[in-house]
Amino acid sequence: MTDRKSFYLMTPALAWLTGLMVIPCLLILALAFFRRGTYGGIEYTFTLENIGLVFDPLYASIFLKSASIAGLSALIAVIVGYAAAYAIAAAPAKRQPILLFFAVLPFWSNYLVRTYAWIVLLNREGLIASIVHSLGYEGELPRMLYTESAVVIGLVYNYLPFVILACYAPLSRLNPEIAEASRDLGGSGWTTFRRVTLPMTAPGIATGFVFVFVLSIGNFVTPALLGGGQFQMIGNLVYAQFLTANDWPFGAALSMFLIAIMMGLLTLQTFATERASGARQEDT
Amino acid sequence: MTQTLLSIRNIKKHFGAVQAIAGIDLDIRENEFFALLGASGSGKTTLLRMLAGFEMPTAGSVMLDGQDISHVLPNHRPVNLMFQSYALFPHMTAAQNIAYGLEMDKLPRPEIKARVAEILDVIQLSPLANRKPDQLSGGQRQRVALARALVKRPRLLLLDEPLGALDKKLRGEMQLELKRIQHEFGITFIVVTHDQEEALVMADRIAILHEGNLLQCGSPHEIYEHPQSRFAAGFIGVMNFLPVRRSGNELIAKDGSKITADLGDDLANESDAVAAVRPERLSLDVQDDDNRLTGRVSALAYHGLDLQVHLDTPLSSEPIMIRLTADAAEGRRLSIGENVTVGWPAKDTRVFSA
Ligand SMILES: Nc1ncnc2c1ncn2[C@@H]1O[C@H](COP(=O)(O)OP(=O)(O)OP(=O)(O)O)[C@@H](O)[C@H]1O
Ligand SMILES: [Mg+2]
Repeated sequence: MTDRKSFYLMTPALAWLTGLMVIPCLLILALAFFRRGTYGGIEYTFTLENIGLVFDPLYASIFLKSASIAGLSALIAVIVGYAAAYAIAAAPAKRQPILLFFAVLPFWSNYLVRTYAWIVLLNREGLIASIVHSLGYEGELPRMLYTESAVVIGLVYNYLPFVILACYAPLSRLNPEIAEASRDLGGSGWTTFRRVTLPMTAPGIATGFVFVFVLSIGNFVTPALLGGGQFQMIGNLVYAQFLTANDWPFGAALSMFLIAIMMGLLTLQTFATERASGARQEDT
Repeated sequence: MTQTLLSIRNIKKHFGAVQAIAGIDLDIRENEFFALLGASGSGKTTLLRMLAGFEMPTAGSVMLDGQDISHVLPNHRPVNLMFQSYALFPHMTAAQNIAYGLEMDKLPRPEIKARVAEILDVIQLSPLANRKPDQLSGGQRQRVALARALVKRPRLLLLDEPLGALDKKLRGEMQLELKRIQHEFGITFIVVTHDQEEALVMADRIAILHEGNLLQCGSPHEIYEHPQSRFAAGFIGVMNFLPVRRSGNELIAKDGSKITADLGDDLANESDAVAAVRPERLSLDVQDDDNRLTGRVSALAYHGLDLQVHLDTPLSSEPIMIRLTADAAEGRRLSIGENVTVGWPAKDTRVFSA
């Protein structure tokens, strides 16, 4: 396809994104450089105070906390999701679409409903607790709901289908003869996986990881519902600035950093995928 | 040259209801260049995959050096396979691809380096050692795949249509190249091909597979000159078939003319049969040949080295093909519509039951 033609075809999508997404976002981000009015609202005098405030140890630690929770969630999701995708890709071809359908089934229900379901499960009198007790365990169970672990569980659960899809794509495209060639040359099953299958499907893993990380670090629903009021993630902080503290300029400054982190990661991931794309041009 | 390396005993492979290999016995000798020839779907790849260990035989056994290897895993067999698709590791360079098998053998680094360099030299790809497969041409990739399987110096090298993706000229060069390499390394080769000419050129012996059965196995000369079945005769090279009937010690063609041949006893009297003769055995205007037939020239095809003449005769509904050498064609100018007589000696007639 010529460059010109592809440009025309992209125009509607680009116009949509620019008009309804990029411009409003830039307008909001611009607020970061203005002063907050005494009673909320915005005072249009230039300042770098809001940006500086982001580096305040209090807020910086929330950034770090969010990054570590997002990183942990992404790591777990990638391990679990890759294994699932591997199993699906290894299943008989006829059964694969059905298995994939089940893997992404949670996507078709409402995010809030899914998250509330975890409350029901993790509750002190919840399903997990009653099952354990009905099996005869008398003691006190460790607290499950309103902990960091609950947030990680919720995030992993919600974004797992992304990872499965992202990893399934390269796995299903692998020519099985390449793994066989490794066996033929003397590689064990594990060596074949480590030296051939894994590197060839690394772009899918990177995509899945970045997806989960980016979606998790800005998430505010799951930390609010499953983390209780116990701790804040950066998404909650932004939410609070805009909706309760009425400090739009600071909220904008936080968002700016969040977006910068996401853009950085997505750019890295795009480059990595492009560099590795030779790995997937295996033909005939 | 006479030591048996590989014995295949009554090997069978079923995929559900599909019978891919129907029970084959085959002995491959040490240092032999063996070709498996067959049409698409005849079971060539399936047989190779059983030898490499990727398919378990439904029945039968595979013996290598006197040991039953039927159930040995692929990574523990001293057998390497060059895949029909080459199956190069796309994320590794040519040199890394070749080194992979040696690394699996846990050889010391310096030795790996030396052997990779040596084989890159043999396949004349040293300057491209650090290219990835997608930066190589089809022919170069094919040589990397060959080197990768060869560098381990297996007892037995299996090659699945190694020249399938190449153009005709490169194929010709690579056929000789493969023979040279096989000779140099002293490794037994089993090469799968569906190109009969390629099999004739390269192989010490050829086996013809047909629908999972072994039809015939022998030297290229045996296979070409003494095919044992009508299918084998038609599959290898060009053959003229004439429907006949045995009558005593003679064969009677459709138009009542006689065809002479060295007849064995396996063909019953008064039974239908097919007489066959190769186009290059027919010669023009010969008076004292055992067989003679007259027909009308219906087509002429010039091939540079030779001239192919199609002759319409009352003996067969198919045109009879004649192959004249350039010299013979020069001496006798033919034109379409002309009536000519051709003849051939009785010893060149092959007879198959219909
Ligand atoms: N995994 C499989 N499952 C079911 N049927 C199979 C399988 N592999 C091969 N077959 C069947 O077995 C038969 C032999 O196949 P095979 O691949 O050995 O043919 P081939 O001689 O290598 O053909 P080609 O020249 O096209 O490569 C075919 O009928 C094929 O459909
Ligand atoms: Mg094949």
